[in-house]
Amino acid sequence: MFKAAHSDVAPKRKKGPGALATAYLVIYNVVMTAGWLVIAVGLVRAYLARGSYHGLYYSIEKPLKFFQTGAILEVMSRVFLTWAVTHSVREVQSEDSVLLFVTAWTVTEIIRYSFYTFSLLNHLPFLIKWARYTFFFVLYPMGVTGELLTIYAALPYVQKTGLYSVTLPNKYNFSFDYYTFLILIMISYIPLFPQLYFHMIRQRKKVLGHVEDYSKVE
Amino acid sequence: LSRAKKAVVFFEVEILDAKTKDKLCFLDKVRTYFFSSYPQWYPARQSIRLDPKGKSLKDEDVLQHLPVGTTATFYFRDLGAQISWVTVFLTEYTGPLVIYLMFYFRVPFIYAPKYDFTTSKHWVVHLACMCHSFHYVKRLLETLFVHRFSHGTMPLRNIFKNCTYYWGFAAWMAYYINHPLYTPPIYGEQQIRLALIVFLFCQIGNFSIHVALRNLRPPGSKTRKIPYPTKNPFTWIFLLVSCPNYTYELGSWLGFTLMTQCLPVAFFTLVGFIQMTVWAKGKHRSYLKEFRDYPPLRSPILPFVL
Repeated sequence: MFKAAHSDVAPKRKKGPGALATAYLVIYNVVMTAGWLVIAVGLVRAYLARGSYHGLYYSIEKPLKFFQTGAILEVMSRVFLTWAVTHSVREVQSEDSVLLFVTAWTVTEIIRYSFYTFSLLNHLPFLIKWARYTFFFVLYPMGVTGELLTIYAALPYVQKTGLYSVTLPNKYNFSFDYYTFLILIMISYIPLFPQLYFHMIRQRKKVLGHVEDYSKVE
Repeated sequence: LSRAKKAVVFFEVEILDAKTKDKLCFLDKVRTYFFSSYPQWYPARQSIRLDPKGKSLKDEDVLQHLPVGTTATFYFRDLGAQISWVTVFLTEYTGPLVIYLMFYFRVPFIYAPKYDFTTSKHWVVHLACMCHSFHYVKRLLETLFVHRFSHGTMPLRNIFKNCTYYWGFAAWMAYYINHPLYTPPIYGEQQIRLALIVFLFCQIGNFSIHVALRNLRPPGSKTRKIPYPTKNPFTWIFLLVSCPNYTYELGSWLGFTLMTQCLPVAFFTLVGFIQMTVWAKGKHRSYLKEFRDYPPLRSPILPFVL
């Protein structure tokens, strides 16, 4: 899904994430599998150690939650931004705000999936782990700013054209105002973003706090 | 989110003699003693278990029948603030009743000012209001006079969650049904009449099941028995379904959807159906676990299907 979305956005740009988006896509496709392989390997290991299926979930529960925490919201926000905003409202595609969040996402993902790959191979360079838990300080606000600015830029066009909106009267007795919906989405960032951000800060303390425990394997 | 605190508390329990053998130490006594030492944790919010990660013991459990020696070690966990089921039900059902009526009477600030305190020109809108109100009045009366609850309380945060759901959906549905631009059902009187029959049939059915379930359990007891069809034909559905109260509830809302031809109502019906299916499957599974002779023909909520 991301592949199609990005190739749709990329050609419309004159400069910017063309090469970056491609690099991202390559890494995305290759490493996406790796991420889930970590889970799979964990499961196999646990099964071999225990000799039964009982309680297998608990053996991969932590890495599973670890990888998925925040991922749902991130994924949903990205799909929404890509399809429901950037793709649907042609006028925003040349906005700098789009460059802002695409760059933020791209860098985040490159780091994140390298992290997964190396974890899988049990050869996680401290630098990658450090990067994953430090770059977000800048990348999260950068991405959120880009996303919010993009949605904001789309508002006048949505209102003018009535995009994705349904009005009364109609035989299903239903109405939907996409413009209001977008505003509500923007408002929802207020409680959601700080939660994600502070969650990452807490994770960082937990993960980077145990530097001595972690053996730098060659 | 707080972690389970492990507080190890030792009690010296005097077990009464064989003469008063029916006064063995029930676990609710343990809860009472605990409460007197820790007044901030009333019995309803105490979870007492033999193992920190284990299941919570019940009030009816008897100390002597537990796998403990001369000293029993229990683990305590705070369940958080609790609220009674009755309170929750009354609150969550009164909301929709009142809210719907506000939209029906077109209270100011909902629709354009020229419509304030007017009524819809479509008679189906009046019928829908009566049905919706009847449904929630019935629920309130059942909460007060019919239902026998297994658990006294639930976590406090549930009331916010539940009320948001019920009140939110009620407002959303009522907004469209009572809207000045409301469009009545395509097939007119035929559709409305059929919908009303379905609705009423299922309301009676749902009530019949609630009464049948109540009669399974003598007052004050918490015994569980397999429900069976009674003389009331509306209960014959027990032959095919474990939780026919949910089946009838689904039917009622399908009727209401048909009556109002309103997409938000359809959506509410769908969400409710999903939730009730989850509950029905859980109930069905616990029936199967508890009773060896549970009728094999029964499905959780939809005959033969689900």
